[in-house]
Amino acid sequence: MNSACYSSLQKPWRYWPLLLIVGIIGLSVDGFSSAAFAQTVAPEQLNTFVVDESGPDVAEASLLPAPTPQRADYPNIGASSRSIVWVIAQMHLFFGALVLAVPIFVLIIEYIGFKAEDDRYDDMAHEFMKVSLTAYAITALFGGTLALSLFLLYPHLMGYVMRAFGSQVLVYAGLFFLESMLLYVYYYGWNALRYGNRKWIHLTLGLLLNAVGTTLLVVANSWTTFMMAPSGIDPTTGAVIGNIWEIMKGPLWNPLNLHRFIANIAFGGAVVGAYAAFKFLSAKTPAEKAHYDWMGYSSNFIAILAFLPLPFAGYWLMAEIYAYSQQMGILAMGGILAWLFVLQAVLICTILLAGNYYLWTGMARSEGSERYRWLIKYIATALILGFLVWVTPHNVIYTASEIGRLGGGNHPVLAPLGIMPAKNIAVFIMLICTFLSFQLYRRADKVITVSWQSWGNALLVAIYVVAIANVIFAGVYYGYFTNTVYKVGSSVIQVMSTVVVIVSGVVIDTLMFKGAKTLHVTWGKVSNRSQYALFALPIAFTWLMALMGYIRSSVRTHWHVYTVMKDNSPDNFIPTLQTVGNMVTLVTLLFLSFLLFIFWIADLSSTRQVPLPTGSNRARAETAA
Amino acid sequence: MGARTVERRANRVWTWIIAISITLLAFYAMDHLVMSMQGLPLDWDLSPAQ
Repeated sequence: MNSACYSSLQKPWRYWPLLLIVGIIGLSVDGFSSAAFAQTVAPEQLNTFVVDESGPDVAEASLLPAPTPQRADYPNIGASSRSIVWVIAQMHLFFGALVLAVPIFVLIIEYIGFKAEDDRYDDMAHEFMKVSLTAYAITALFGGTLALSLFLLYPHLMGYVMRAFGSQVLVYAGLFFLESMLLYVYYYGWNALRYGNRKWIHLTLGLLLNAVGTTLLVVANSWTTFMMAPSGIDPTTGAVIGNIWEIMKGPLWNPLNLHRFIANIAFGGAVVGAYAAFKFLSAKTPAEKAHYDWMGYSSNFIAILAFLPLPFAGYWLMAEIYAYSQQMGILAMGGILAWLFVLQAVLICTILLAGNYYLWTGMARSEGSERYRWLIKYIATALILGFLVWVTPHNVIYTASEIGRLGGGNHPVLAPLGIMPAKNIAVFIMLICTFLSFQLYRRADKVITVSWQSWGNALLVAIYVVAIANVIFAGVYYGYFTNTVYKVGSSVIQVMSTVVVIVSGVVIDTLMFKGAKTLHVTWGKVSNRSQYALFALPIAFTWLMALMGYIRSSVRTHWHVYTVMKDNSPDNFIPTLQTVGNMVTLVTLLFLSFLLFIFWIADLSSTRQVPLPTGSNRARAETAA
Repeated sequence: MGARTVERRANRVWTWIIAISITLLAFYAMDHLVMSMQGLPLDWDLSPAQ
């Protein structure tokens, strides 16, 4: 037996993740049935079906149409059912996003620390998990409350969804138990499984934790996308005719899976970044400041790196929504909900400005940053211009006198900036500029020594210049001077130009950094102002998630399950923008309040009281007497 | 100005010209490829062929 085989047999735990994934896939593919278990019934049999061998009652139940509840069928508890579910569901989603995302990058950091044999990474990863662990219980509490609220307030809808998904919800519950156990073993076993081969066991536990967590995410996503774009049902009656896999894999499932997966990582990075900022500002010693400065930098790196590809995933989701139902797409981006995209622009620009600002101030940690400082003012100018273009609305409601003065319904100069081609140019240039800030930060503490550095630098600059020119050309020429099909198609050119900048930037820099001299970086040498940028990130992310989550859900309009089960509750209308703004702000403030509580609890767990002097209690009692 | 300095500057100019030319060509090809893959072919001057 060769040594590789022997080594593999010595470490069988390395194959556990593979076995788990195979198991999950096995379960997903017809391993468990939908409650309707109507997979034996073909759609064409729907109207002729009389008796099935499994029993007439069961077979007829499987072909029940979607319920049609009337106004009186909805329980009235004296408050808006929609508002109650809105708040609870959003809180559950916030915390769910946090606790599923943090272990993903914690595992990567832990692995880097293990390979580099650097305990600092391990300590940082462990501390990130402390925040996640504290949030875990709150996630479960909101999840339970959400389930109870839905069954109480929307019993018919929940009955239908349970009929469609059947025993899959029990698999979800089982996975939740598994997730809890793995999470506790992963966190509390950290120091017991810290070095040598034991570390491999710990890393495997982390991988299993993430495999289960991601499965939980995609299972829950299937419920959401079933309500938006149902599959596996008879489109005329809503009767469940598909197996569980056909019900899960609707047209929006994978776009939403990808979008939420990436967004969760960006959100998780932003939240732990705020924790690091909180600890940095309250640190007493230079060592503590250095540790939390480094932690904040790592968090910001994770948040912005995950945020960069997010618009591409969002683009895919929106394109699939349009493809599924043009009415849905137009309502989202051309109807009343389009106004909320202006708010989205403000929030995304806040994230980009805060992320960039943090990088620029962080460059002060290294003396080598002086070489690149002159570029910051140009990046800042591009970001501000992009921001102004992005927030420019197309159709503003004017008074009669304003229309008279303008000479029409649209502003003669600003109106062209209100449509998508201009927004696309702004978005992609802002993303390219943000990546440039990252690249400058990475280069700040290095002196490149490779012989071909002039070629490498020239190629990098050329890629930036040509990519930006290409983004502007595609947006202006195809966006304003050709037909709509080319206008839409040209946005892929803009996506690819941005991707080329990012990928080539990483590749060229990695090659150029070989043998580079590394300058000293002083961690902790950063202004307090930069830490407020770390606070701005999770605030903007939270607001953004609440806002975009509302838009995604609201495109169903007056349907519980789109085109299949009507919403006849008193709340079956799209609320006013003011109501939306208030609700979104309310859930954001609520989440931030809980977050402060979590930070406080995480801090409290590492606080140890100094022992009282012997007899001090007695002495105090005597003094009082 | 020494001959070596002039030569070095000339080399630097050539480096930039070649880098810009290669990049322009690559992006030009990418534009054609991306649009063709979507069934939206372009003419040599990047105007819509349909």
